[in-house]
Amino acid sequence: MEKKAERMDPSPIGENKPRIDAREKVTGAAIFADDIQFGNGLLHARIKRSPHPHAKIIRIDVSRALELPGVKAIVTGEDFPGYIGLYLQDRYIFCREKVRYIGDPVAGVAASTVEIAEQAVNLINVEYELLDPVLDPVYGASSKAPLLHPDLGNYKVANFIFPQAGTNISNHFKIRKGNVADVWEKCKVIVEHHYWVPQIQHVPIEPHVAIARVDENDEITLWGSSQSPFAQRNLIANSMGISQSKMRVIAPYVGGGFGSKAGVSMEALVVAIATKVKGHPVKLLLTREEEFYTAFVRQGLASFFKMGCDSQGKLLAMENKFYWDGGAYTEYGVNITRASGYSSSGPYEVPNVSTDSFCVYTNHPVTGPMRGFGMPEMHAGLEQCIDELAIKIGMDVVQFREINCLKTGSTLVTGSKMHPTGLPICLEKAARGIEWGKKNPPSAPNKRRGKGIALMWKAPAMPPNAGSSTWVELAEDGTLTVGVGGQELGQGTFTVAAQMAAAALGVPYEWVRIAKPVDTRYSPYEWQTVASRLTWSMGNAIVNASRDARRQILEIVADAWDETMEDLDIVNGIVISFKTEKEIPLKNLVIYGLPKKDDQGWRGGPIIGRGTFMPTYVTGLDPETGQGQRAVVHYTTGAQAVELEVDMETGRIEIIKGVSAFDVGKAINPRLVESQMEGGFIQGVSSALFECLQLKDGMVQNPSFVDYRIATSADIPKEIKTYIVEVAQEDGPWGARGVGEHSMVPSIPAIANAIYDAVGIRMEGPPFTAEKVYLAMLDAGVINE
Amino acid sequence: MSFHNISVRINGGLEQAVVPGNMTLMKMLREIFALTGTKNGCSAGECGACTVLLNGEPVNSCMVLAVECDGGVITTVEGLAGDKQLNIVQSSIIDEGGVQCGFCTPGILLSAKALLDRNPDPTEDEIKEAIVGNLCRCTGYVRIIEGVRKAARQSVPV
Amino acid sequence: MSINPHPTLPEFDYLKPNTLEEASRFLVEHPGQSRPLSGGTDIFVRLRDGAIKDKFLVDIKHLDGMNEIHFDATNGLVIGAAVNMNRINSFPIIREKYGILAEAANSCASYQLRTRATLIGNICNASPAGDTIGACLLLDGILNIHGIQGFRQEPLESFFQGPGKTTLKTGEIVTSIQFPNPAEGLQGKYIKHGRNNMSDLSIVGVSVVGAPEVKNPSGFRMRLALASVAPTPLVVHKVEELLTGKKITAEVIREAAEIAQNACTPISDVRGSARYRRLMVKNLSIRAMSIVWDGLNGKI
Repeated sequence: MEKKAERMDPSPIGENKPRIDAREKVTGAAIFADDIQFGNGLLHARIKRSPHPHAKIIRIDVSRALELPGVKAIVTGEDFPGYIGLYLQDRYIFCREKVRYIGDPVAGVAASTVEIAEQAVNLINVEYELLDPVLDPVYGASSKAPLLHPDLGNYKVANFIFPQAGTNISNHFKIRKGNVADVWEKCKVIVEHHYWVPQIQHVPIEPHVAIARVDENDEITLWGSSQSPFAQRNLIANSMGISQSKMRVIAPYVGGGFGSKAGVSMEALVVAIATKVKGHPVKLLLTREEEFYTAFVRQGLASFFKMGCDSQGKLLAMENKFYWDGGAYTEYGVNITRASGYSSSGPYEVPNVSTDSFCVYTNHPVTGPMRGFGMPEMHAGLEQCIDELAIKIGMDVVQFREINCLKTGSTLVTGSKMHPTGLPICLEKAARGIEWGKKNPPSAPNKRRGKGIALMWKAPAMPPNAGSSTWVELAEDGTLTVGVGGQELGQGTFTVAAQMAAAALGVPYEWVRIAKPVDTRYSPYEWQTVASRLTWSMGNAIVNASRDARRQILEIVADAWDETMEDLDIVNGIVISFKTEKEIPLKNLVIYGLPKKDDQGWRGGPIIGRGTFMPTYVTGLDPETGQGQRAVVHYTTGAQAVELEVDMETGRIEIIKGVSAFDVGKAINPRLVESQMEGGFIQGVSSALFECLQLKDGMVQNPSFVDYRIATSADIPKEIKTYIVEVAQEDGPWGARGVGEHSMVPSIPAIANAIYDAVGIRMEGPPFTAEKVYLAMLDAGVINE
Repeated sequence: MSFHNISVRINGGLEQAVVPGNMTLMKMLREIFALTGTKNGCSAGECGACTVLLNGEPVNSCMVLAVECDGGVITTVEGLAGDKQLNIVQSSIIDEGGVQCGFCTPGILLSAKALLDRNPDPTEDEIKEAIVGNLCRCTGYVRIIEGVRKAARQSVPV
Repeated sequence: MSINPHPTLPEFDYLKPNTLEEASRFLVEHPGQSRPLSGGTDIFVRLRDGAIKDKFLVDIKHLDGMNEIHFDATNGLVIGAAVNMNRINSFPIIREKYGILAEAANSCASYQLRTRATLIGNICNASPAGDTIGACLLLDGILNIHGIQGFRQEPLESFFQGPGKTTLKTGEIVTSIQFPNPAEGLQGKYIKHGRNNMSDLSIVGVSVVGAPEVKNPSGFRMRLALASVAPTPLVVHKVEELLTGKKITAEVIREAAEIAQNACTPISDVRGSARYRRLMVKNLSIRAMSIVWDGLNGKI
């Protein structure tokens, strides 16, 4: 019998299904953490913070603050001796003995109003003994620098991170592949360059916010704007010495994360305070100013590149040194050091690579994950060097990349082989999209035009055993609820989760609901919403859960119809038999099962499917060489090209056109993928042209929108083109892999390369502000005063 | 501190409140009236997440005192949709994919609505100028602008 | 800019006096702790930062004449103190006859802030970066001020004493600004150089106005003012002298720009270096003067 049933809706995979959360968001009904109503019992927290970058705490006097009417509790590090951290436990919840950055939390106040809490904070007196600060990572890595973490050797640490006890280096990742030293003489040209990429911040439009309440059973509930409810539960519970099951994290919609709301930053503070005011919810909402420097910032990077190629333009050797300005605590930042290390060849095949990637403690704001996880910072310099090498050997920069870029089967810097990749296709599409080779005239006599291109690669940076789990549950009318632990940050998690569940089970997309908000009491475990891993990892778990439910359903029906499961399918919410053409809707059967013949009982029962996914094949890397069988789960690769103009009278850069092409394996929802490419590109442009946390003596000079500029609607290019390339990921749902971070990675070098094309100036690091570009042109003699 | 008895019309309904002199319109909307669609992004008049319409004109509600609104007419995002359907800017921005995390969205919608009220056929540059005070970190503005253009093309008055 | 501002506005009393007299009297009776409140866009930010600590804000927006704009050919243009920037940018007679004022008003911040921000507020805040001040100076603005002694007038050119400092005495409230009828054929240009394309403060601002004036050797009168490169908004008189006395050419414009450059005294801060600012004063002065010159010659 031929398959009669055609799905009346095409499978939702690959369709631009409307966002599942759009209506809530446009009506203002969507609840974010600061919107939750807690009633009159809500207390407000404010934090006493260190005004010094490095100092010993001599004495904390809270007596005057405690006398203020309305103050309910004050806590200090005395009360919380446990360390906390994701990959390295190097920080306390509140400082004990030392402060290590301006903004480090020294005490916390809970009071009946924010104003009283603030007044109380100002009445707390702290005596410090100033210590010499470390304000530069290269200095910090040297033996001359004071030790910021003398106990580094005793900290608990993940087995793939290598802190150097007795130094400020909290991770040293090495690549020693081939024999770099011997190969330089074989190189026809060598390029050596160093760059400084300053700290920037994620600038989510919703600042960090968390509310905590401890009940009479000492069970903690934490509400927050969070990418990582389960990781927060785990880290805070560990630090406080309690069971994970005594802590519940509820995470509503996130108003932008970009990594800032991963791991634990300010959430532990409010949990700690809440333990002293049992029964009361306590809220901490960061001011925008605090957001800029007291949660997470992106690491600064001093990068030193040396690379060489032969006369045919084939890359022979790379020698890299990365000094990451990790800030006061690098419990999360250490892995950026590692990720950049194992990616340090860039998306190229290079037979000889030597890399030393150092995570260095400094007395600067705490660094953590930010979109790209080290890749934007690293590619900023690497992709410029590639251009320089090509130019020096007299080769077109696109052609140079065509020769050297990774292809399926290429040998990687960690020794394994590249899985199927569309990187060459991405390069070709980006070059074609920007009309590479065609020189367009400038729009005015005082402008110069240029084009630039850059490639990128990135793997999800995570422990080798980061897992996902999901459940699916059906209602009487056959509609589906999917439980996930992955968070909706705007990238479309809930929408693609619904699409994948619908496709894998066989129901229309419109029948699917996501069980939200994510609540660790009811939602299934998800490691974190980071690393562009959800579509792939959570997606696999969803497919598994849907298949599990599907199997249960088909088992019941097969039994009832006396057929085999292989002849049955679920299409549009109806179970059909290809053999007999019988049909039965899911309705009711998914709760009540089906009756046996002649009223002789029932079969089946409530359907609940479960699925998990955890990669099992990631191996360790040799600590001395960085070589291993499989360093990562997979890589997403891509290319970006820009055309820009430089105003020769002011140095102002205007991006005329941007083209992005990324290999996502399979676009579950193409419009959402394009949206990531557009948004990431603009965030990349913003980081290239405007953004910089201006640090002076450890203090951020510009912690507000007035002086930390980000791209506005008036700053976007006239034309943005995006291309989706689909070379399937072997173990991805329908072949999908992630793209959320990748679109921001190549922007800085693409722009820098275009600036060079326009005016012949090599920029040593972003942001390429009008002032920086102008003065660089002036000092190089490209223009005169 | 002074306290003031004020009356305001919010989303068509007449309301009364007693507000401290230093309470911003944003705080009043969020805390006294539980209209949490208006968002607090910076409290400094820079990000636009708190944008509402005051007497038909967009303002950063964190930069207006509640008491200054006495006798005024306020529209928040909650007041945009009709009983049965979304208003044209809301549905257009959804259609074009201009919503991601949603935090800037209420402010954007009100800036856009006010733009179309005063200029029903704006150019792309005019749209960009109208929302330059609404920071978005997710979308790159591309699809937001497309959404406003789509809304403008429908000539149904908002 | 504070790294640790108040999370909310600090406490203060809000007052809404019935008359100007009441307002001035209250300010005089509470010196150093009270100030007039108009748009609030500068005051609320500074209160939150702790830069000012007033306990009383005296709202003046509703008082007589504060919301009026009127123009007649004899008396020129009068703009009330509470008129917001959006209104100035869209008012037909201002766009037609005082174009640079509309352009400068529209360059401030964002549409939302311009709904509240006022011209007079921008002037009284007396920031050297104030966008509209150059235009007001070049258009020969005169302030009408009400104080305990009654009304007085002050030409804008004597008003600014330093960053944030004006000649206003305690109790004084600026009620309006008036501009004489502009010269026939007036052209103006405000160039604001910020870090973004729009909505930023100015790192350097250049205002230029010009009009035919047959009695001058050059046949024209051209004036130039600078923002953000001196302790106060700066009218560079020597530029006017040069362009009054000499036939205007591209070379002379260049010379004038160099005069402007030599007159400015920029500082280095988080927004830009003194070096860059000086260089931009020259380049943007050339740009602004060239645009005005082209306009005077009918090329625009």
